[in-house]
Amino acid sequence: MLADDMACNARNEYPAQVFNNENHKLNLYGDNVEVDYRGYEVTVENFLRVLTGRHENAVPRSKRLLSDEGSHILLYMTGHGGDEFLKFQDAEELQSHDLADAVKQMKEKRRFKELMIMVDTCQAATLFNQLQSPGVLAIGSSLKGENSYSHHLDSDVGVSVVDRFTYYTLAFFERLNIYDNASLNSLFRSYDPKLLMSTAYYRTDLYQPHLAEVPVTNFFGSVMETIHTDSVYKAFSSKTSNNKINSEMPVNQLSEHDELQKANIPNDELKTEKQKCPYTQMRVDLHEKLEKFENVDTVVNLGIAVMVFVVMISSSLL
Amino acid sequence: MASLVRSWIPLLILQSFLVAVAFGSKEAEQFSEALLLKPLPDRKVLAHFHFENRAPPSNSHGRHHHLFPKAISQLVQKFRVKEMELSFTQGRWNHEHWGGFDPLSSMNAKPVGVELWAVFDVPQSQVDTSWKNLTHALSGLFCASINFLESSTSYAAPTWGFGTNSDKLRYGSLPREAVCTENLTPWLKLLPCRDKDGISALMNRPSVYRGFYHSQRLHLSTVESGQEGLGSGIVLEQTLTVVLQPETTSVETNMQPSWSLSSLFGRKVVGSCVLAKSSNVYLQLEGRLGHESKNVDTEIEAHKLWKNADFDLSLKPDRVLRESSGLLFIFDIDKSSDSEPFDLGLNWKLPSKWSCQQAPLQASRFLMGSGNERGAIAILLKATESQEKLPGRELTDGRCTIKANIFQIFPWYIKVYYHTLQIFVDQQQKTDSEVLKKINVSPSTDKVSSGMLEMMLELPCEVKSAAISIEYDKGFLHIDEYPPDANQGFDIPSALISFPSHHASLDFQEELSKSPLLSSFKEKSLVRSYTEVLLVPLTTPDFSMPYNVITITCTIFALYFGSLLNVLRRRIGEEERFLKSQGKKTGGVKQLLLRLTAKIRGRPIEAPSSESPAAESSFLSTKLIFKIILIAGAAAAWQYFSTDK
Repeated sequence: MLADDMACNARNEYPAQVFNNENHKLNLYGDNVEVDYRGYEVTVENFLRVLTGRHENAVPRSKRLLSDEGSHILLYMTGHGGDEFLKFQDAEELQSHDLADAVKQMKEKRRFKELMIMVDTCQAATLFNQLQSPGVLAIGSSLKGENSYSHHLDSDVGVSVVDRFTYYTLAFFERLNIYDNASLNSLFRSYDPKLLMSTAYYRTDLYQPHLAEVPVTNFFGSVMETIHTDSVYKAFSSKTSNNKINSEMPVNQLSEHDELQKANIPNDELKTEKQKCPYTQMRVDLHEKLEKFENVDTVVNLGIAVMVFVVMISSSLL
Repeated sequence: MASLVRSWIPLLILQSFLVAVAFGSKEAEQFSEALLLKPLPDRKVLAHFHFENRAPPSNSHGRHHHLFPKAISQLVQKFRVKEMELSFTQGRWNHEHWGGFDPLSSMNAKPVGVELWAVFDVPQSQVDTSWKNLTHALSGLFCASINFLESSTSYAAPTWGFGTNSDKLRYGSLPREAVCTENLTPWLKLLPCRDKDGISALMNRPSVYRGFYHSQRLHLSTVESGQEGLGSGIVLEQTLTVVLQPETTSVETNMQPSWSLSSLFGRKVVGSCVLAKSSNVYLQLEGRLGHESKNVDTEIEAHKLWKNADFDLSLKPDRVLRESSGLLFIFDIDKSSDSEPFDLGLNWKLPSKWSCQQAPLQASRFLMGSGNERGAIAILLKATESQEKLPGRELTDGRCTIKANIFQIFPWYIKVYYHTLQIFVDQQQKTDSEVLKKINVSPSTDKVSSGMLEMMLELPCEVKSAAISIEYDKGFLHIDEYPPDANQGFDIPSALISFPSHHASLDFQEELSKSPLLSSFKEKSLVRSYTEVLLVPLTTPDFSMPYNVITITCTIFALYFGSLLNVLRRRIGEEERFLKSQGKKTGGVKQLLLRLTAKIRGRPIEAPSSESPAAESSFLSTKLIFKIILIAGAAAAWQYFSTDK
């Protein structure tokens, strides 16, 4: 989802090119870029529709998130944000509880196995404050009260080309080669608060596996497990899917990885811990007590009589 | 012997019959690519990529796709599209310098943004639904927001004004749509060789998008097979037209810049697409007069055509064709490969000037009026120099006339008053019936549908200028219909001016049925030109109004209720009177007053005025205390009973 057209903007000195560095070595807007939602189509409504899968019938498949219960999804968001919100298009905001609700819906409908949310805005960590669904890993570029800064200004193009968090993420991946088995833990530990000028905070309480055992290729890029068989069709055990993505793009991306065993989703019913409100407690107890009575009618009649008595007394006193 | 011969003959006949059947029924898919290069008079170069893909008629559920893109044939089959054209354009076609009369500009000078029109083969009641689904499918296929054309406020149903006469035609245009790599990539993926091989490998994205004008167009039409049981064949034509400025080192301004494929695109052609039936590069030079009647038999004569005093070509053309106003050099790139890349270059030696043939009338459109309430739209048609030389001028009732069709769409917030239409010919106002021969108006409905105007004008051949003006009122938009970011206004899509009596075609005398590009030039196509897109500023809502309304309303309420309560309850001097009545002896009027006030208050008339208040007060206090005790006791009992576990 790209809200603004940067590459072919009339003010871009280098048409159809977007760089992440002043040295202009790497053109991020390569020859095969695909943007599904752009311009005025980037709205909070469309974003939530993509996540939850509630589209109109006419919406084509390329604009849908076709994920299932074995998918690993990477959600990368950048832009302007603040305390519990992310700005969309100058006119609306995505709030943290909206995002948490959408993720909860996705979990109910089994639309992902693992979800990684990466947010690069000011006060980014507040955006995933309200998340409660298991299987979600979230990292934000700054804490509440902190700003996220851009890395450097390209005086040729005239704007800052990349944010600090994204720059160091890209730098981490550029250092890897194809055979490295880097883990998410090493990625998260590579962020230096002094260089970022903010604290990259991540949240793992909803994510069961240990970060040191999860390879980065679970979310960034994909690793195909190909099993050679001689027969033509074999039931389910050798499904392969490949979606090669360009992880430097500031778009929502998804990466699918089918596992051999079925997803084990713990059925958690969140215990709603109501605080000890005396009034509510009283009502609950009274309700319980009333249920114990055999003849409720007499109790009600008695109550009415008492009330009438009290009313009579107080009115006679006046 | 005779019996043997007799047994052979039926076998031979049978075999030839089978062979004929095999050849006849198995029409193969055909793909051909071509690139046309043309230097333009204002020191720019036009590059026109043309890809044609033909799919023969076959069973609708049994079509095998070798070369033809499956996405397109599924689109045609699902939405039953008879003809469709989709174009993505940025930049404005400069009719003055780049021409308006040749088939290239008639077909490829498109309005800015996205333009989509489609003719369907479904019952009339389903056309709108098919259009809506088609826009969504195309938006997914080409990564663009074409789905904004689904709402009835953004498309129209033209009839004769558009050139295609059908009542199942729908037309929509989005002038603000951006065009970038993500639109070109899926377009290229419809080609058999993608962008890896052949001519399409030249398309360096930064070079294409650096151009002054670039337009990618996809036109598909179905060909009825006429046979029962067979679906229709599809012809898919994809063109990309780019106008580039070659970089020059020379400072002289009257010399044309020299260029080559590698200087324009940064790449060379290394081999043709093996799946293409024909793969050619054409170089067209206009205005090369003087070689018309000469015979090109001798080698030296032929050599002079492409290497002479004016210019130099870096490669020898395979063929040279001549037309009334120009030369066409044909290069076959089948022979090129990695070791011998094809890099055509044109080197100018002497300054040359020429002009491209223009349409009979040059159209421009602009807004008149000021303010946020109303305005007027005016279209100006000016005669061009080449008007007299053009063929196709008709004789109606003995007079020579030029016919011009004008087709416009007005969004609903431009509320046009069709009765204010005024036509001026040579700066004199004419009554409508003299010049306006046919008109079709479809008025707009607020927020439901847009307005459409189709006119046919018949102007005298000697006309110098003609102007049409029409007035409108600006509508008010709801607050969430404004775009989210700062904007200068809203767009009125381009108007289409076409000349039905003029046909643009380029006929190179040789019989070249092999080249689809040239045969498409040979077909008589309608001369058409698009005007500019107009930008209309609409009133923005006053965002401080809610605050103003709240303030005023609350003030009025406060004043009303405040004064009402004051009038009802406040008695001036009440306290003083009470104190006075306390200390004074009971005088007549005063006592009357006392009694009156006591009655109003609802209290029993107190004769012993000093004692009873005290007694009353003590009685009051005991009653009060008793009440408090009672309620407290009830509350305690409630608490006890409810918290008992």
